[in-house]
Amino acid sequence: MAGKAGKQSRPRKAEKDEEEQPLQAVLVADSFNRRFFPISKDQPRALLPLANVSMIDYTLEFLTSTGVQETFVFCCWMSSKIKEHLQKSKWCRPTSPNVVHVITSDLYRSLGDVLRDVDAKALVRSDFLLVYGDVVSNIDVSQALQEHKQRRKMEKNVSVMTMIFKESPPGHKTRCEDDDIIVAMDGKSKRILHYQRAQALKKLHFPMNIFHSGSDEFEIRFDLLDCHISICSPQVAELFTDNFDYQTKNDFVRGLLVNEEILGNQIHMHVTKDGYGARVSNLLMYDTVSSDTIRRWIYPITPEANFADQEGQSCTHSRHNVYREPGVSLGHGSQMEENVLIGRNTVIGANCTISNTVIGANCVIGDNVTLDRAYIWNRVHIANDVKVKQSVICDNVEVKHGVVLNEQCVLAYNVVVGPDITLQEGTVLSMHHPDEEDDEDEDEFLSDDDVGYSKDKTKQKGSCSSYLIMCIDDDIMFPGLALNPDPESDSESEVSEGSHDLGSHPASPELDDVKVFQNEVHGTLQRGLDENISCDNLVLEINSLKYAYNISLKEVMQILIRVVLEFPFQQQGAQISTAQYSSHLLPVSLLKKWAPVFKNYVKRPQDQMDCLASMEEVFLERETHWAALVKVLMSVYQLEILEEEGIMRWFKQSSTTGKSQQLRRNQGLLKFIQWLEEAEESSEGDE
Amino acid sequence: EIHEPEEVSVWFREGSSCCQETLARNQRFTETPVNMPGADKETDLSERIESFLSELKRCGSGAGSLRGSAETARETTALLRRITAQARWGNAGELMEIIRKEGRRMTAAQPSETTVGNMIRRVLKIIREEYARSRGSSEETDQQESLHKLLTSGGSSEDNFRQHFTHLKANVIEAINELLTELEGTTDNISMQALEHIHSNEVIMTIGRSRTVEAFLKDAARKRKFHVIVAECAPFCQGHEMATSLCKEDIETTVIPDAAIFAVMSRVNKVIIGTQTVLANGGLRAVNGTHTLALAAKHHSTPLIVCAPMFKLSPQFPNEEDTFHKFVSPHEVLPFTEGEILSKVNAHCPVFDYVPPELITLFISNIGGNAPSYIYRLMSELYHPEDHEL
Repeated sequence: MAGKAGKQSRPRKAEKDEEEQPLQAVLVADSFNRRFFPISKDQPRALLPLANVSMIDYTLEFLTSTGVQETFVFCCWMSSKIKEHLQKSKWCRPTSPNVVHVITSDLYRSLGDVLRDVDAKALVRSDFLLVYGDVVSNIDVSQALQEHKQRRKMEKNVSVMTMIFKESPPGHKTRCEDDDIIVAMDGKSKRILHYQRAQALKKLHFPMNIFHSGSDEFEIRFDLLDCHISICSPQVAELFTDNFDYQTKNDFVRGLLVNEEILGNQIHMHVTKDGYGARVSNLLMYDTVSSDTIRRWIYPITPEANFADQEGQSCTHSRHNVYREPGVSLGHGSQMEENVLIGRNTVIGANCTISNTVIGANCVIGDNVTLDRAYIWNRVHIANDVKVKQSVICDNVEVKHGVVLNEQCVLAYNVVVGPDITLQEGTVLSMHHPDEEDDEDEDEFLSDDDVGYSKDKTKQKGSCSSYLIMCIDDDIMFPGLALNPDPESDSESEVSEGSHDLGSHPASPELDDVKVFQNEVHGTLQRGLDENISCDNLVLEINSLKYAYNISLKEVMQILIRVVLEFPFQQQGAQISTAQYSSHLLPVSLLKKWAPVFKNYVKRPQDQMDCLASMEEVFLERETHWAALVKVLMSVYQLEILEEEGIMRWFKQSSTTGKSQQLRRNQGLLKFIQWLEEAEESSEGDE
Repeated sequence: EIHEPEEVSVWFREGSSCCQETLARNQRFTETPVNMPGADKETDLSERIESFLSELKRCGSGAGSLRGSAETARETTALLRRITAQARWGNAGELMEIIRKEGRRMTAAQPSETTVGNMIRRVLKIIREEYARSRGSSEETDQQESLHKLLTSGGSSEDNFRQHFTHLKANVIEAINELLTELEGTTDNISMQALEHIHSNEVIMTIGRSRTVEAFLKDAARKRKFHVIVAECAPFCQGHEMATSLCKEDIETTVIPDAAIFAVMSRVNKVIIGTQTVLANGGLRAVNGTHTLALAAKHHSTPLIVCAPMFKLSPQFPNEEDTFHKFVSPHEVLPFTEGEILSKVNAHCPVFDYVPPELITLFISNIGGNAPSYIYRLMSELYHPEDHEL
């Protein structure tokens, strides 16, 4: 019955949908990370209020307005609370055009688990929308949906997913550096060729094959914001089941793109200019999205629309985006300057200045309070002479007389602060001991966006009854403000590409393979050393590896050089001195032993140049060991791997960077070159 | 508790195609057990109301509304007819209470769409009249004539609606059907008067896009040749659509930016505009830029004609601040892609302008031309004073 009514209410879409299934959606009401810790300890992220409405309501409203008729809400953390909230909301009323099913399980650890469950339970019948419970959007996806269906019709089951992006240039406040992405796409078919998260990477690598895709239009874009809304075909769930190592959407997209030739699945994208779409992925985004809501960017989802249809929440909108719910009382001389939302029955004292602020319901705020960019939730008591700047204050907090909260503070649930205390920038106060969380959840919630929590946390018993978690880096509180990449969040595969400098090498078809190949070569040599395998066999093994990973001959040589030169570091650790290094590498042992291997690969003059270039590169990375270079060169010269002409040519080569020039001016190297020159002259003289 | 499917269906046979479906529904219900006929119907009804509400909330993400207000008026009336037919009520008082309750929700869903509220008031007025007719008194109609009656009518008339009449439902539905027929014909009725106002070789100015004005001009163009200047009406630039549409009918059309309105006004013979709402004082709530246009017209003593069907007449006064304005996403003023600047500025994008009545020369409605000072009189004919506040 509900479906029928929904259809009738949208006569424009009715014809299209008639022969098709009703649109379904999968809503993941868990973030699987701890960016909102410690707030999310007490309340799941999807239920946190954004402009006094729970985030999940925004997501459901978005889904309903795009014509979704059946939504599956998957929850894990505090699932009972989410369930309770939904049962009370308008989405579970019999008249709702969008039927909401709540599916809970404690076993969900990632998006992958959820989608595997979708597949196991066979919930979706046709294309569905995949969103998180913290997506705020008013994008009309019907066009993207139509394009998606058309693609599916034209080429059966080739395109499995359409991702929706919003155009927003770098530096836009709705972008957070954590989620920056670089996308390479085919300009005509809108097919995604390459997808990479760009968190503070200085070098980016694009596989060559994407340039050979046969399309004449090609775009590499950095001005896109991932709205975290994707249109998926049922195959997506199946693919997650087939590849049990896929945890996140990122894994999925990358996995699919890498295996595109084998599996033949494609991912497309839809870029929208109008409409608003963002995911509240951390507190910085919370700040941004809240202020966007107040500034009406998400129209028609505005505070006064009361789209969640809650009793007594209807507020009025007046000049300068000041919203007031019923029962608000404002003291004498208090000013609501601009972009202010005040919840019902909140009492504000005299001479307060409030701007860019959201205040929840039933709060009491004293006299002479200054609030700027504050997000104050429900039932908060703030005494006189308090100053709050860009901070979040959760439910039932009591802020006593004279407290000053500087930027990016968080007062989690039930905290009592003060009186007369100034909290530094980035202070987080919580009733939960920071350690208790660490043991419990650390491994459980490690997943795609996990911002590292191995930060220095100094806990103190403050002057209040709560734990103080000081953040040395303000990453924890507002990740994205700090640009330094996080060691732990880099747990993903792109780091292996990004951090390993392949420098001037031509981009290889598989960046991952290069890395793996390097490890394999290292292993082979190690084994050769341990088990005393003959060099011929080593060459054989390396050759077979070369074919297994599809590595060019030139790269084999480069990697071989790198592996051999780094060999002592691998064995002895990176801290060994130059003397130790050269003693370990040179005398008889390694280089001599493997000389036949080198000779096998270094044959033409060009090979010599490449070989020297990669040697140079290895040493450029390790400035302290420059003295060893000359010894290495000497021994390879003596072992007749390299000829003097090659070395001379390399030396005279106009170097590109200042550092490599510096390398060439190295005392030992100059002597070596001089010696070579003399040797040459003398040999000429002999003739 | 009254349930008369057969009798209702009699009226539906005369109705539009939409009613045919209801007819089929009613026939099906006659077969269901008599002890619970209303339950299914009521959920169906409330589903329809919900979907209409959410449609209202969402409509108008850009310029004004996605649909014309004529369509909204028709949909509202059709929904009210359905409520009358399907809801449980025993007498006129109960029906009015139901309609008021739903009406409050509908108007709250989209306060700027006054058409919804207007149609609800019209239907309430119909119920009052039908009730009075059933009682056999014509008292209700001449009630406003005397000041004394106006003062005393307040409390007492409400009690009188408790009387039960068997044919009331059918009569009310018939009257609503008449109202629907009237709504169907409004645009035609207005455009029929076009030749009286537009003469050959005149220069007409308009702003933005109004479906009524569009039909009005097109109708005149069948017989006369004239020149239309369209102000583009930034930032939504509906004027462009208007110009394209007029060109298709071979009307000589020029699009000008809003800033050029004053400069061009001296050449203009007449300004013809549409409006979102006609307010109780004879002023307008019209698309942004209309006030500028009206002031320029006043300065040059160019007549300003407003094409507005009767259903746009609202008992609202302009000083009711909270619901008067509508601010949409600032995207059109300052694109989202603008980048860093967005966090440093506040951009607002209002949709409506208030035009005071003294700037308006004439209203052309479906019942003829009227001066702004006469609006109060039309208002009292259309709505019952007790219904002004829902």
